[in-house]
Amino acid sequence: MKQARRIAVVVAVIGLVAVAITAGAANGSGRASKPTIVLANNSWEGSVANNVVAQYVIEKNLGYNVNLLTIDEIPAWPAMVQGKVSAVMEVWGHSPLYAQYVKGNHKVVDAGLEGPNGNIGWYVPTYLVQQHPELKTWQGVKKDWKMFVTPQSSPQGQFLDGSPSYVTNDQALVKNLGINLKVVFAGTEAAQLTEIESDYKAKKPVLFYWYTPQYQNAIYKFSQVALPAWSPACGKLKPAAINCAYPPYHLYKVMAAGLPKQAPTVAKFIQRFNWTSDDQNSVSYNLAVKHMSNSAAAALFVNSHQALVKSWLSGATTKVSPPAPGT
Amino acid sequence: MSTPTATTLHLPSAVRISRWAPPLLVAVPLCIVAVAVEGFHSGFPAGWYLGVPRWFDSLSNWVTNNDSTNFFLHHIVTGFGNLLNSATNDVVNLLHWMTWVGVLGAATVFAWIVGTWRTALFSALVISSFGVLQIPNGGPNGISQMWPSAMTTLALMTVAIILSTIVGIPLGIASAIWPRVSRALRPVLDLMQILPAFAYLVPIVVLFSIGNPAGIIATFIYAVPPLVRFTELGIRSVKKDVIEAAESFGSTRGQILRNVQLPLAAQAIMLGLNQVIMMALSIVVIASLIGAGGLGDPVLNALQTQQIGEGAVAGLLIVLMAMWLDRSSAAFGQRATRDRTASLRNLTRRQHAGLWGAVLVAILVARYGLSLGDWPAGWGFSFVDQATSALNWVTNEFTGIGGPISTFLTLHVLNPLQRWFGDVPWFLVAALVGTVGWVRGGWRRGVLLAGCVVLLGLMQAPAGYTFQGTTSYNFVAWTDAMETLSLVVVSLVLDLVIGIPLGIAAYRWRTVDRILRPILDFLQTLPAFVYLIPVVTLFGVGNVAGVSASFIYALPAAVRATTLGLRAVQHDVLEAGQSFGSTRWQLLFKVELPIARPYLMLAVNQTILLVMAEVVVAGLVGAGGLGLDVVTGFSRSEVGLGAAAGLAMVLMGIVLDRLSQSNPDRWRVATS
Repeated sequence: MKQARRIAVVVAVIGLVAVAITAGAANGSGRASKPTIVLANNSWEGSVANNVVAQYVIEKNLGYNVNLLTIDEIPAWPAMVQGKVSAVMEVWGHSPLYAQYVKGNHKVVDAGLEGPNGNIGWYVPTYLVQQHPELKTWQGVKKDWKMFVTPQSSPQGQFLDGSPSYVTNDQALVKNLGINLKVVFAGTEAAQLTEIESDYKAKKPVLFYWYTPQYQNAIYKFSQVALPAWSPACGKLKPAAINCAYPPYHLYKVMAAGLPKQAPTVAKFIQRFNWTSDDQNSVSYNLAVKHMSNSAAAALFVNSHQALVKSWLSGATTKVSPPAPGT
Repeated sequence: MSTPTATTLHLPSAVRISRWAPPLLVAVPLCIVAVAVEGFHSGFPAGWYLGVPRWFDSLSNWVTNNDSTNFFLHHIVTGFGNLLNSATNDVVNLLHWMTWVGVLGAATVFAWIVGTWRTALFSALVISSFGVLQIPNGGPNGISQMWPSAMTTLALMTVAIILSTIVGIPLGIASAIWPRVSRALRPVLDLMQILPAFAYLVPIVVLFSIGNPAGIIATFIYAVPPLVRFTELGIRSVKKDVIEAAESFGSTRGQILRNVQLPLAAQAIMLGLNQVIMMALSIVVIASLIGAGGLGDPVLNALQTQQIGEGAVAGLLIVLMAMWLDRSSAAFGQRATRDRTASLRNLTRRQHAGLWGAVLVAILVARYGLSLGDWPAGWGFSFVDQATSALNWVTNEFTGIGGPISTFLTLHVLNPLQRWFGDVPWFLVAALVGTVGWVRGGWRRGVLLAGCVVLLGLMQAPAGYTFQGTTSYNFVAWTDAMETLSLVVVSLVLDLVIGIPLGIAAYRWRTVDRILRPILDFLQTLPAFVYLIPVVTLFGVGNVAGVSASFIYALPAAVRATTLGLRAVQHDVLEAGQSFGSTRWQLLFKVELPIARPYLMLAVNQTILLVMAEVVVAGLVGAGGLGLDVVTGFSRSEVGLGAAAGLAMVLMGIVLDRLSQSNPDRWRVATS
C-alpha cells in the first residue's frame, strides 16, 4: 500500500513538473524581444573564424546576442528555412541547394561574396614532389600509384579523403581517369589530418583531398596535383561521369529570408561582410594553434582592422554571384 | 519450437545429426536451384533491389514540401517540438535561477536523504567539478567555463527522462496486462535498440529541425526500451499465488495492479529508470550532432580541431555526471522500494520540509541577497595542457607498436576475411544462416533469418542512383555488410580473448575486481568520440582504428557478463566439488566454467550487439562498410542512404543476435 502511494507520489510529481513546464512554455512563447542571431559553425576552421569575428562585431556594434551553432553544411539550409539558423557566413558551391532554396522557394537569400576563393583538389606533401617531380600532375600519380599503397587500400594505392560530408568527386575521378587508387574516407577531417600529420612526420608518401583557404597550410607544405582542367561543360556532367579538376569556388554567404525583417542591421552587416583568405587564416591560426578564446581572437583582429570593420557597418554590400553549376 | 534443443543435448550423436537433416533438406535443394538459375558468382546480384533509398528520399521530400501546410506536420509535430524546446529552456532557466549554490545544495541534500553521506559528498564533488574543471574556449560561444554546458545537458536529460517515464511506464504496464501489446511492441523495441542512432538523426531533423527537441527525441528513442522492458518484467514476475490471494479477497483487476503488482514491481521499474539515465547520458555527444548543445559540444569541437586534451576533459565531465546520476538514482530506487524502517535515515515529514526549506532559503539569499549566478569564473582551473601532453606521450610511446599491429591486422586478418566473406555467394550465406537458425530455434526462426539475409542484400541502391543530395554514392549493401562483418568478427574475438580472462580474474580475486570496476565504469560511460583521435594516431586511419574503437566500447560488457555468469554458479555445486577434494583451478575449469557456459554465450551475444552499435562510430575513423554508409547518409543529410544503410545494419544485427542468443534458463535445465 505504502509503496503504491509512493509510486503514485512520484508519478504525480513528474506529472506536475510536466504541467508546470508546459504552462511555462506557453508563457515563454509570448515574449518578444531582440531575436538571437544564430550563425552556422561548419566543421572547418575557416567557417569558425568568420563566425567568431561576425559574432564579435554584431554583439559589440549592433547589440544582438549571437549563438554559434555546430551543424553540417547541408542541414544548415533547411535549418534556415525553419528559423533555427539565421545565416551561413561561408558556403562552398552547393549549386543544387542554391537552386532549391534561393532560386526555388525563396526561403534563403544570397548575401553576396565573402571574399576568398576556395580551391579544392588533390594534394601531396611538398617533400614528395621534390623527390618525384612527376607527381605535379595526375599522370605522374597514375604511374606512381604503387607508392601510395597502404594496408587499408592494398592491393591498390590509397587516396585519403576527409569527412564524407564534404563535396568530393574523387571516387568518380579515380575511376574515370583510370588510376589504380582506392578512395578511403577518414570519416572526419580531424582523423584525416591526424593521418596526414603522422605521415608528414615520417616523410612518407600520402595523397589526399585538401583545400585552401586552410590555416594548416601555414604549418605544413603541401603541393597540388594538377588534374585535367575544369570547364563549364565538364561541370555539367553527371557526378559519376566527372573527369576534370574541381571548379573554382567563389565563397559566398547566405541568410534566412526573414532576417532582413527581424534584424535589419544584422542582415545589412552580413551582406557587407567581406575579407581575404589571409585575414581568415590569421584568425583561424590564433584560434586553433594559439588556443586563443573566440572573443580574444576576434578582438585582436577587429582592433587591427578598424577600417575594414567600418566598411562592414556602413559600406557597400558585396556582389551577388550565384555558384556555377557543378560546384 | 524450443524443446528439441534442450532434450537432445544428452542424446547420442546419431540423433544429434538428425537435427541438421530437416533444414539441410530444405536448404541444399534451394541452393542448387539458385546456382541453376543465376549461376555461381560471388556476392549479391547488382540488379536486385527494392528501391528503399528512393522511398525514403521521396518521403523526406514530401515532408519538406508540406511542412507548413500539412495539419499533422505543422500543428502536431511542430507543436510537440516547441513544447519540448520550451520545457528544456524552462529547466535551463530554472537551473540558472537557482544559482550554483542552489544546484549544489539541492543535489547534495537529495543525495544525503536518499543515500549515505558518501553519496552526498560525491554529488557535491561532481557538481563542483562542473565549475572547477574548465576548458579554454570550450564552452558555448567560446567561454572557458563548463557550468552552462553542464546545466544544458542536465536540463536535456531531465526532459528526456520525464518524456521516457510518461511514455515508457504506461507502455510497460500495458504490455504486462495484454500479451498482444507485448507481442506488438517487442519488435519495435528491438528495432529501437539495434538501429544505430546516426540512422534516425536525419529523419528526426527533417521532422523537428535541429536543436533541443531533436536531441531529446533521439535520446528518448535510444533510452526508453529498457524502461518498458523492466516495467513489464517487474509486473509479470509478481507471483501468481500473491495475485490469487488478492483475488480471493475480492480485489478488482485495477486494485490488484495498483496495490499488488505495481508496488512489487517498483524495484524493477526503478532499475529501468536507472538504465534510462545511463543510456541517455551515453548519447549526449550524438545529440549534440543535431544541435542539442550541452557537454557534447566541447567533445565534438575538440574532435573537429584534434584537441585531444579538451575532448578528454569534456568527456570526463560527462562520465562524472553519469556516475553522479547513477548513484543518486540507484540510492533513490533502493530507498523507494526498501522497507522504510530498515533505511538509514528515517526523516519525518517536518524534517524533510525543513531541509528543502533551507535549500530554498539558500537559493533566495544567493539569488537576491548576494546576487550570485553561475559558478564564478575565477574558481577553477584547466588541466587541458597536462591532459594533452599525457595523451600525446602515451600515443607517441606506443606508435611504434601500434603501426606494426595495424599493418599485420589489416593485411593478414581483416583484408583476407573481407575478401573471403565477399566471395561467398549470397544464397550460401542465407542457407547457412537459415540452417543454423533452424537448428537453434526451430524452422520459423531459420526461415526468418534467411529472409533477413536476402532483405539485407535488397537494401542496395540501383547502380548510378543519384541520391537526393548533390553527389553520387555507390551503396552496395551486401559488400558493405560483409566488410562490417569482418570488423565485427575481429572486434568480437579480441573482446572475448581479453575480456573472458579478465572476467575470470575478477571473479577469482577480489582485488582485481576492485581495480577493474571503476575502469570498466569509466570505459562504459566515456563517449567514444573522446578516444577517436588517439586511436587514429596509434593505428592510422582505417579498419583497425575502427576495430579498436569497437573493442574498447564492448570490452566492459564481455568482462562483466563473464564475472556475473561465474557468480551465478550455485554454492552447493561448488561445495560438492570441494568435498571431492578438487583444487580451486580444477573447480574453475571442470565445474564453474562449464556450468557458466550459457552465461558466457550471453557475454558473446551482448558483445556482438555492442560492437554492432559502435560500427557507426568506427566509420568516423576510416573504417568502411555499413558504418561509413550511415555516417555519410547523416553528414550529407541523405535520408534515403542513411535509412537504407541503417535498416541493413538492423537486419545484420538481428541475424547476429538471434544466432548467438541462448536462453540461460533453458540451458540450466539441460545441464543440471
